[in-house]
Amino acid sequence: MKQEVPFSSKRFLLTLTLCACAVILLQNHDLSRALSFPLALGAVAAGLIVCFLLFLPAVWLKKRWDSDVLTLVQSRGRAAQGMVAVIYSAYFLYVAAYFLLPYTDMFCKKYYTETNPCPVAFLLLACCVYAASKGANVITRFGIFLFVLAMVTNFMMFGGSLSSLDMHNGSLGWQGNPADFGNHVIYFVTPCFIAALFACLSGDATRFRVHQIVTALGLTGVKYALVLFFLTFAAGEYAARQAYETFVLSRVAHFGDYAGVESLYMALATMSVFMIISLLLCGVTKAWHCGGNLWVLALLTGLVFALQLWAVSNDAIRELFTRPLLLIALTLITAAVIPLLVGWGERRRHA
Amino acid sequence: MQGVRSVQAAIFTMEGLVDKEGLAQAAVNPLMAYFFEEPTNRQVFDAILNTVLASSDVTAFEGTEKLLTFLTSGFAVIAVDGVSRMIAVGAQGYAFRGVTEPESEVVQRGAREGFTEPLRVNMSLIRRRLKSPDLVFEQVTVGEKSRTQLMLCYLRSAASPKLVRQLRQRLAACDLETVLAAGYLSEYLEDPHTSRLFSGVGISERPDTVCGKLTEGRVAIIVDGTPAVMLVPHLFVEEFQGVDDYSNRTYYAAFIRTLKYLSFLVSVFLPAIYTALAQFHPEYFPTWILIKTAKSLSETPLPVTLEVLVITFVYEIMKEAGLRIPKSLGHAVSIVGALVIGESAVTAGIISSSTLMVVATAAICSYVTSPLYPPITMLRFLLILVGGVFGLWGLVLATALVLISMCSKTSLGVPYLSSLSPFSLRTMRDVFIRASWKKLGKHTIRVQRFAETEEIG
Repeated sequence: MKQEVPFSSKRFLLTLTLCACAVILLQNHDLSRALSFPLALGAVAAGLIVCFLLFLPAVWLKKRWDSDVLTLVQSRGRAAQGMVAVIYSAYFLYVAAYFLLPYTDMFCKKYYTETNPCPVAFLLLACCVYAASKGANVITRFGIFLFVLAMVTNFMMFGGSLSSLDMHNGSLGWQGNPADFGNHVIYFVTPCFIAALFACLSGDATRFRVHQIVTALGLTGVKYALVLFFLTFAAGEYAARQAYETFVLSRVAHFGDYAGVESLYMALATMSVFMIISLLLCGVTKAWHCGGNLWVLALLTGLVFALQLWAVSNDAIRELFTRPLLLIALTLITAAVIPLLVGWGERRRHA
Repeated sequence: MQGVRSVQAAIFTMEGLVDKEGLAQAAVNPLMAYFFEEPTNRQVFDAILNTVLASSDVTAFEGTEKLLTFLTSGFAVIAVDGVSRMIAVGAQGYAFRGVTEPESEVVQRGAREGFTEPLRVNMSLIRRRLKSPDLVFEQVTVGEKSRTQLMLCYLRSAASPKLVRQLRQRLAACDLETVLAAGYLSEYLEDPHTSRLFSGVGISERPDTVCGKLTEGRVAIIVDGTPAVMLVPHLFVEEFQGVDDYSNRTYYAAFIRTLKYLSFLVSVFLPAIYTALAQFHPEYFPTWILIKTAKSLSETPLPVTLEVLVITFVYEIMKEAGLRIPKSLGHAVSIVGALVIGESAVTAGIISSSTLMVVATAAICSYVTSPLYPPITMLRFLLILVGGVFGLWGLVLATALVLISMCSKTSLGVPYLSSLSPFSLRTMRDVFIRASWKKLGKHTIRVQRFAETEEIG
């Protein structure tokens, strides 16, 4: 079995931040009109606080035993180990399909309108197999380059939209009904899947500090807030008319004769999804202690691809992969419940 | 064979490897002039070894294997009848190229000296610049048939002992019969299971560059008969550092570094992006470029992907021809390439002018970072193909794969992309910019600080 090389916790959390920010890149959720801007910001804050709470059990394991849930469960016997591995594998495969589906959808609606989503998904997954075979350490190193790309794209997105800013486009009051607020909060809890990734892979991270998580979620919040701000006050109705309203860059790109700049958004979304799925596959291989095995990874991506095909052909299944509530519920189990149970078990064993 | 009193002795040499005048001065004349009073063969041997010979390069040894090694290395060997040990006297005198400026690493300011073929001359070039007692030269012999001598060269206080040990092990594992150049060994020095697209072994022909790297904890491997010295661990950012950067003003050095990074990106991505845009997303071109490009492309018979591939391929052929043919014919190739093939093909409507311009720009940019030429060429072809088949999306995915491959590469346990990824703010002072010597001189950053594992740390 390939041994994972320890990596810097800072770099790991930067990678997780990029994964969390990707949620809003793949947005097809009515963000700008349902709530006033301050209320939407409140929803972001509430969502990210929930995310932070979901991190706490894994932080406890990391601080107390400098380990992660998958490593700790090894001492609890083969049955417990197998059960946890099955749960985490199923969860990670679900999350992979959860992100792959909106990505291929966006891809085919926005960029290659005549393309079938299945070959796109297949090629992307094939690339993820290679990345996952290199391990989480290498993926976190890749995250640094993605961070640079994200900075450039964000600079273009927000810098280019500055000239279109009009504070009359949106409201600065507290309008909006509680149902919409609830929906927004649920939507902004979606990045909590990074808590589950942290719970599984943090054992190999070195020099961990709790404030790194706060910073990671803070950066995610800033990104969300900026997208909301420019959606509300710069893109306005233009955003509302688009299938993917967070394409705030597209307004500048189209009206400024620089449509090519929009490809940066596509590049960032593609690389983010690539990184998320690769990290998720690393999580599964860690659960089964078969790190870097190409055959196992190929089998896993085959399963993700099968889920994708199933979701594309069946609307009921598709619903399962597009509702954030199910993702949050499953994340609660994997990021909080199981680590807490494993932690208590470990404490009793040492008592 | 000649008798010294009643003791028989002999001097063995290899024809053409020994300086006869030097040998006469160091061994033959003193032997003839010395009056031997020692009664036994053993004492005669000791007298020759300790008193008679007028050379500082004298070694006593035993065994046929060492005898052959010394003889083939240009030593004269003195054997005394009845004594199993022999004496090797350094009297190398074969013809070799003098110390000249290396053509591949030309500098504006700085020394005009480059390594040459003989090992001892190269050692002296390093020793002259690093007079530290910490400097170690460690001899290793590789190649079952060639018995090529190598020198591991490092600063004891700077290089990690684990790194040196690891290097010794890898060289010992080299099972080649002949080692005729440094390049033969570079594959043996690479880490196993890492990408071979980029090289994890640096090459330099300049003693000042090598000395600079030694102070940073690297190990140099000097191969007898090769003017190129290998350096490990080798990082990606080193490909963009030149000797002139450290002599120029800091702002200009930073400008040149930026230029090099941009040239690298242009040489790898420009033809591929052009192909992808022209093939799949012409709407992404600004209107004024779109009109000209569309007009130019519509007049040519080949699809744009094939056109870019063909021109790049023809360019590589011309480059290779330019390297191999005699220098006197070089101008003819340039004229044929630039005028006959380039201009005529555009005029005849076989290729478009915009495609030619894109390929030419990429080709020129690739020479800015010449050590990276092989990976740049391969990546360029690959990305053109991917861009032509899958468009920008394919290009993004291919870039992600190349980045993953580069991120996973290590050179003797040190991540190849160190300084960039894993990111180190402290070492950024000599990556995109070159900080002033006042800052650089404060702390020398050792290469082992980048190692993430305990392998060499």
